[in-house]
Amino acid sequence: MHLTAQEERVLAGEEGPGRAKAMQLLVALGDIYGAERLIPIASAQVSGASFKTIGDAGIKFLEDFSEHAKVTVRTSLNPLGLDLRRWRAMGVDDDFHAKQGRIVSAYRALGVEPSYTCTPYLAGNRPRRGQHLAWAESSATVFANSYLGARTNREGGPSALAAAIIGKTAEYGLHMDGNRRPKVKIEFEEVPEGLVPLAGYLVGKIAGKRVPYIGGISMTPDQHKSFGAAMAATGAVSMYLLSSPDTRKRTDVSEVEECVHVPLSELNECAEELKGDDAWDLVAIGCPHCSEAEIRAMARFLKDKKPRDECDVWFCTSRAVYGRCPKELTVLRRFGKVLCDTCMVVSPIEKMYRRTASDSGKAMVYLPSLGRQSASFRPTRALLEAISR
Amino acid sequence: MAGKASAEAVVCSCPMSFLGGVDPVTGKILDPECESKGLSVAGKVFCFPFGKGSTVGSYSMYQLKLIGKAPAAVVNGSAEPIMATGAIISDVPMVDGVDVEMLRTGDDITVDADKGSLEVANVLEKHVVTSVVRHGDKILLLQRSRRVGSYRGQWAGVSGFIESGEDDEAAARRELEEEVGMKKAVLRKRLETQRFRDSDVVWCVHPFLFDVGRRDLELDWEHERSEWVSPADVARYPTVPGLQKVVCMLLER
Repeated sequence: MHLTAQEERVLAGEEGPGRAKAMQLLVALGDIYGAERLIPIASAQVSGASFKTIGDAGIKFLEDFSEHAKVTVRTSLNPLGLDLRRWRAMGVDDDFHAKQGRIVSAYRALGVEPSYTCTPYLAGNRPRRGQHLAWAESSATVFANSYLGARTNREGGPSALAAAIIGKTAEYGLHMDGNRRPKVKIEFEEVPEGLVPLAGYLVGKIAGKRVPYIGGISMTPDQHKSFGAAMAATGAVSMYLLSSPDTRKRTDVSEVEECVHVPLSELNECAEELKGDDAWDLVAIGCPHCSEAEIRAMARFLKDKKPRDECDVWFCTSRAVYGRCPKELTVLRRFGKVLCDTCMVVSPIEKMYRRTASDSGKAMVYLPSLGRQSASFRPTRALLEAISR
Repeated sequence: MAGKASAEAVVCSCPMSFLGGVDPVTGKILDPECESKGLSVAGKVFCFPFGKGSTVGSYSMYQLKLIGKAPAAVVNGSAEPIMATGAIISDVPMVDGVDVEMLRTGDDITVDADKGSLEVANVLEKHVVTSVVRHGDKILLLQRSRRVGSYRGQWAGVSGFIESGEDDEAAARRELEEEVGMKKAVLRKRLETQRFRDSDVVWCVHPFLFDVGRRDLELDWEHERSEWVSPADVARYPTVPGLQKVVCMLLER
């Protein structure tokens, strides 16, 4: 990889050991992926914020690293393992809280903004078309590439942090035009509204590592969010393209090597497979974190209803969105807990619940593995009906 | 991925994750798939094809470093981001692009990550030619005599050391003439150098395929017997390491 004289100086340690280490990491990864240079980034987004996912080793690394380094571009952070204000009500224990606190302090010392969300683009860090980023959260990466038209690879936690410190990332993968062309076309016969996340779930499985070009589906921005999140969980997919009749949005399909037709029956079979139990300890909504529009829609539906109180309910969102819709949240609070800073995927859910239902395709991948839950998929509407009367 | 280290090797032939694959307290390999299960990687040159698993594995290597149980160096067939990240944040020298199959647990390895180089002190590389001589649908096998330095009594192609400064095709032709008295042979194919580890020697075999017009030959002192055999029958002879693989690759269309 070719480095500028200034980059060489950083690598040689002239700007301190923290920046040298960050530069070493960028250069090593750039070499692995065949990058020729580093390019400036508009923002970073770092994963590995929950004590549950990074453990004692992660804490130690972040604490040591934070003594020598600071981020130089806007940097958002993924959800924590708890709601910083309501962790006791969630059922998180003191030990977990103490360790989570050390992680929060280390990131603060590094200069990372305390957004604690997988949807930084709904919390003020919204990239513009064409901007280069170093984002790590898989669902945010796919949203940034596909819906917002920005450019980022799916970074690992440490590499996103290194990019944030240097303000650059290695130019490879989805930063390059040639790697953003679709390789597989996936055509849906029909996608009913509640099954959009499962359409994403299937796309990830079919596409694998390839950029998919998707037809037979049209989505609201919030549906893009849940669709992409599921895709990035079942596949190594960080970008998709939608086929559109709009000629100005014409896509170069010359590299499409396979066309896959997905009949409605396959989507329904997938829903059936992921249906799981009918009795749950927890209903968890908000993976990715709920948007304002989603919270308003749920509040509208629940406003004149009463809670059934048969199981716990979590509505997960970002602190930023939380502050914007206080009236609606009052409605949701009658039915369950509104949690910020965390979610069902990265919190220590296995210590509190065994059976969890969610409307998220992404959660169907991580609840059984990371969360050790018996997981049940239901469309949002079905979950709201189940928790109200 | 900078720095140097010299230590004994611990070799795994399977992909490895530091999260779950290595005990975070003792540094011992836990992976049940691994032939080196139970060995500690602490202070050793840890060799495996490539890393796998969750990005948390990067932090797990850092954790081992903090308690003094990290490997002295990591040697990989191909580098991938999780392992590279772990090595950098933990200051563990790492080299990649190494054929890990050529390494054995216990080897005395020196890694220089700045140069990307690796030396195995107890292993000698020996470059040899081996020619498969074909006539019609048969190939020539020679049984090595009791007077040769290695692989006595075993069956081989027409082979010998490449002398210092010698071109490998010239060496192959010289051996054909010396060992079996064949001067007229048509070169049909040659392969990239193949490596075979046998105790403390890595044989770097330069394989050639020659066609000859006649089957009569004159054996020198290096061989006891010769036989023209069908390629499929090579497996039935006790051969020098890797011969069957080389024959298959040379005769592949």
